[in-house]
Amino acid sequence: MPAEKEFIALLNEHQRIIHKVCNLYMDAHADREDLFQEITLQAWKAYAGFRGDAKFSTWLYRVALNTAITFFRKEKRKPDIYSTESVPDFGTSETYDPIEEQVKAMYTAIGDLSKIDKAIVMLYLEDYNYNDIGDMMGITANNVAVKMNRIKTKLKESTQKYMTPA
Amino acid sequence: MELDELKYQLNQKLATDHASRTDADIAALLKKKTSSVIGKLKRSLVVEMVLCVLFSIAMLYVCFVSDYWSIRLYFGVFAVLMFLFTFILYYLYKRTQKLTSSHQPVKANLQSAVSLLEEFVKRYFQFTMAMLPVCFVFSLILSSMEPISVPEVDKFVLHYFSARWQVLTFLGVYMIVLAVTLYYFTKWYLKKLYGNYLTELKKCIEELG
Repeated sequence: MPAEKEFIALLNEHQRIIHKVCNLYMDAHADREDLFQEITLQAWKAYAGFRGDAKFSTWLYRVALNTAITFFRKEKRKPDIYSTESVPDFGTSETYDPIEEQVKAMYTAIGDLSKIDKAIVMLYLEDYNYNDIGDMMGITANNVAVKMNRIKTKLKESTQKYMTPA
Repeated sequence: MELDELKYQLNQKLATDHASRTDADIAALLKKKTSSVIGKLKRSLVVEMVLCVLFSIAMLYVCFVSDYWSIRLYFGVFAVLMFLFTFILYYLYKRTQKLTSSHQPVKANLQSAVSLLEEFVKRYFQFTMAMLPVCFVFSLILSSMEPISVPEVDKFVLHYFSARWQVLTFLGVYMIVLAVTLYYFTKWYLKKLYGNYLTELKKCIEELG
């Protein structure tokens, strides 16, 4: 099937997006695998409706975020927030790296945000402007700006909390 | 440290792949079953539609072959009700299909999912509750108009009751208890199935403002 081949090629090229969403929304490895599968399936089901008027990456973000936000686990497999499973490998340097420590703390703080705030942060990190984020989330650019300010303050406070003294 | 200052590093860390997928891996994933709530609802709607059609046929069969006109009428009415309910299920099925084949902005997508689930819960509850009076009233009217003698039932009635009003009171109490139990059970069951999920989705909509 040419459509299936085309889809697989496109998805393979953009699978980084799905990995990002899975890493952000799921702590346990098994849950990330399940979410990856679900996003892939949902994207495939909706692919016939993709007309190419938006970039594939933008469309995939929308599908991935919609799926992640509505994904429901009855029993949460939640590992400890500092476990190696919930936080990606940050290296095992023996010397203290303050930037690495801050990234780790910020990553954990993002993990504590609500599903909606996580989606906004993810799009912000991808350098989408407030209008584009608003379009994807279904809210106004002003609303995005207000939320983003609030999120930044929250993250700053939480990051301090998660920072371990050198 | 601000979020903006760590943008690059965070993007790198978030994209960390724990198991990079090949084309063959992705192709295999496309053949798997969805585990989303809407996907499960879609599958359950298909099963319910098939069961409704099968039960309608079985009831119609009884309706045509029974010797008693009361039984024919009783099963005939139920066959029609089941048949009508199949259309409601089909309408809900079309809505789930529309929801899974198009991806709207997050807020609109959440609103569609909530509206679909609420409609399903509402119709399911209405159908279950509507069956009760239909079932009770029909069985009472029809059994009094064309009484069918069942020896075991007659023996039970004669053993425990001495007057007709006692039998009617027993039946009345039995029906009320059954109706109340079924009302609360259905409410609890539907809440258990979709209640928490709906609450979570509504919270997300509220957060989006």
